[in-house]
Amino acid sequence: MRDGRFNFSRRALLKTAAGASAAAFFAPTVVRAQLTGPIRIGGLMSLTGPGGTFGPIMAKIQQQVVDQVNAAGGILGQKVEYYVEDDQTNPDAGVLAVRKLIDVNKVCAVLGVWSSGVAMPTLPICWQNKVAMIAIAASDTLAEMPHEGYFLRTYVPVSAQGEAIGRFGLQRGAKKFFFMAAQNPFSQSLLKGLKSEVEPKGATVGSIIYDGRKTSFRSEVDQALKEKPDLIMLGGWPQDSASIMKDLYRNSYGGLVCGYGTAITPEFIKAASDQVAEGVYTVFPSVAENSDAYKHLQRLTGTESLLDTNRCQAYDQINLALLAVAAAKQATGEAIQKTIRSTIGGPDGEVVGDVMTGLKLLSDGKKINYDGASSNCEFLPNGNIPHAYFRTMQIKGGQLVAV
Amino acid sequence: MELVTEIAQLVVNGLMSGAILAVPAIAFTLIFAVLQITNFSVAAHIAVGAYAAYVTNSVFGLPIILAILVAFVVSGLIGVVADHLALKPLRSYSALTVAIASMALNLVLENILRFCFSNNVQGLSVPVYRDWIFGSIHVAPQNVYNFIIAVIAMAALFALLAFTPVGKAMRAVADNSKLADIKGINPEQIARLAIFIGMGLAGVGGVLIALDAAIEPTIGFRVILSVFAAAVLGGLGNIPGAVLGALIVGVGEELSLLALPVAYRSAIGFAVIIVALLFFPRGVLGKR
Repeated sequence: MRDGRFNFSRRALLKTAAGASAAAFFAPTVVRAQLTGPIRIGGLMSLTGPGGTFGPIMAKIQQQVVDQVNAAGGILGQKVEYYVEDDQTNPDAGVLAVRKLIDVNKVCAVLGVWSSGVAMPTLPICWQNKVAMIAIAASDTLAEMPHEGYFLRTYVPVSAQGEAIGRFGLQRGAKKFFFMAAQNPFSQSLLKGLKSEVEPKGATVGSIIYDGRKTSFRSEVDQALKEKPDLIMLGGWPQDSASIMKDLYRNSYGGLVCGYGTAITPEFIKAASDQVAEGVYTVFPSVAENSDAYKHLQRLTGTESLLDTNRCQAYDQINLALLAVAAAKQATGEAIQKTIRSTIGGPDGEVVGDVMTGLKLLSDGKKINYDGASSNCEFLPNGNIPHAYFRTMQIKGGQLVAV
Repeated sequence: MELVTEIAQLVVNGLMSGAILAVPAIAFTLIFAVLQITNFSVAAHIAVGAYAAYVTNSVFGLPIILAILVAFVVSGLIGVVADHLALKPLRSYSALTVAIASMALNLVLENILRFCFSNNVQGLSVPVYRDWIFGSIHVAPQNVYNFIIAVIAMAALFALLAFTPVGKAMRAVADNSKLADIKGINPEQIARLAIFIGMGLAGVGGVLIALDAAIEPTIGFRVILSVFAAAVLGGLGNIPGAVLGALIVGVGEELSLLALPVAYRSAIGFAVIIVALLFFPRGVLGKR
C-alpha cells in the first residue's frame, strides 16, 4: 500500500510545480493583484490657483479615509498609498502632475480634478494609460470626449446647472435673463443650459463672456445693464463675481442676481461685503444631507455645519475607488471604472455610506451599493450622474441661508 | 448721440482705471530709471500692499487712509529686503538675469502670501456707495476717491523728485550714477531709497485695486501686463510718461469694447507693447 503523502516521484513533483506556476501565471489578475503590492491612488488637486480654496480640504478628506483603511489593515492585505499632486488649477501644470502620478507613482485611479480646464488635457492621458478618472470637473464636453468608460464624474454637468438657474428665474417671473461669466471651459455649456431652459418658454438671454483675470468689470456691467435684464446670472469665480456685484450695487440695479455655485460662496460675501451681497441667490448642486455617507463625513471632519459639495464629492470619490478595488479584487483602472458602474454604484446590494462598512460586507461576500454624500453615485455609461440634488440659497445678513 | 454717451462713459471708466494703473507703473519705471533693471516683482508687491491694507483695515478695523500708509511702508520695506537678498547679488550680471530673477522673486513672494493668508479671497471693510450721475454719465464715488489718492501719491513723488535734495540725488543717479558717485552721492543708498519708494507705491496701487476688486495672492499678477504696457508706452524710466501711458492703456482697454468682445480686452496690453516698441521705442514722451 502506498502512502500518498510521501510517495511523490521527482517527475510528479516537477509536473506539479510547473502546473502550479502556469496556473498562477494564467490565473485572473484577481489573485495576482492581491500579491503585487500596495494600492496606489492619486489625487490631482487644485491646491493653488482659483481652485485652491477647495483642493487642500479635498485632499485632506481623502487622506483621512485612506488612513482609516490602512489603520484597519488595508484592502486585500495591501496598504493604500495616496499621492497628491497640485494642478495649480492650470492645464499645463495639470498635465505634468498627472504624468507624475501615472508614470512615477503608478496610480490606478486619479481623483479630485476640480477644474474642467485641467480635466480636458488630462482625461486622454488617463484613459490611454487605463487609469480611471473620478472627477468633479463639470464641463459637458468631458463626458462627450472619447474615454472608453474611464471617466466618472461625481458632479452635475454644467448645462444641467444652467437649466436649474433658468427654472429658478422663470419661477420668479423673469423674462429677460443676462448671463455674465468668466471665459473658461464651462461658460458656454452653462449658457447653453440656461438658453435651452428659458428660451422655449418665451424668455430672452443676453450674455457677456469676460476675461476673469481683470480686476475691474465696470464696462461689462454697463453693457449688461443696457439690456435692462430682470435676472443677471453670474458664472465666474468669487473674486470677479464680487467685483461685478459691487458695480451692480453702485448702479442701483434692482433686479434678481443669481450665481453659479462656484461664484456665490462665503468668499464672495467677504470680498463683496455684506451690504453689497445682500439678497443675491445661488442655485447649485447640493448634497445628500440625509444619507449615511453625509453623516459619516460630518463625523470624519468633526463638523455639524453644512458640508459643501466639494468635500462630499472628495469623500465619495475615494470611497468609490477603494470599494471598487475591494469588490473587483483588482487594483486597476479598468476594474475600478467597470466595478463602480456595475456594482458599487448600485442600485442593487446592501446600502453603505462609508468605506469601512463596505469593506466588511464585501469580505463577508455580500453585494453592496454605495450611496454617497453628494449623490446616490449611480453613473451613466458616459460618466455623468443622472440624478442630482439642487439647492437654492440666498445671502441674508452676510450668510447663505436656504430658501 | 447714444454712441457719444457710450464713448464718454468708456473714457471716464478708462481714466479711472488708468489712474490706478499709473501708481504701480510709476513704481516700475522709477526702479528702472535708478537701477536700470526691469523688476517684475512689482506684481507681488502690489499684492503685499493689498494684504497689508487688509490686515490694517479689515482685521484691526483701522481707517483706510491709515491702511494705505501701512501698505506703503510694508511693501517698501519688503521690497528693500527682497532686493537685498535676491536681486542685488545679481546686479553685476546682465539685466536679463536680474529680470528673470525678479520673476522668480515674484513667485516666492506670492507663495509666502498664499502660505500666510491661504487662497481664500478677502475684501477691505469700506462702504460701497451708489454712483453719482452727471447727465448720462455715471461715476462711482470710490473710483473718484481712488483717482484722488492716485493723484496725491503721484504729486508727492513729483514733489520729492523736483524739490528735495534726495529727489535731486535720485535724478542724478538716474542720469549718470558714476558721475553722481564722484559728486559724493552714494548710489547704493539712493538705489535702496528708490526701491523703497517704488515698491511702496506698488503697495499703494495694490490697495487702490483692492478697493474695487477682491484680494488674493495673484491680484498683482492680474494687472502686471497692463502696468508693464503703461511703463513701456511711457518710455521705461520716464515717470510722467508712465502716467500718460497708464491713462492711454486704461482708456484704450475700455474703448476696445466698442469693437471687440470683452474677452479680448487683455489683448490691448499686448497690442500697446507691440505698437510702442515699433513706433515709440523711447516712449510717447521719449526717454530722458
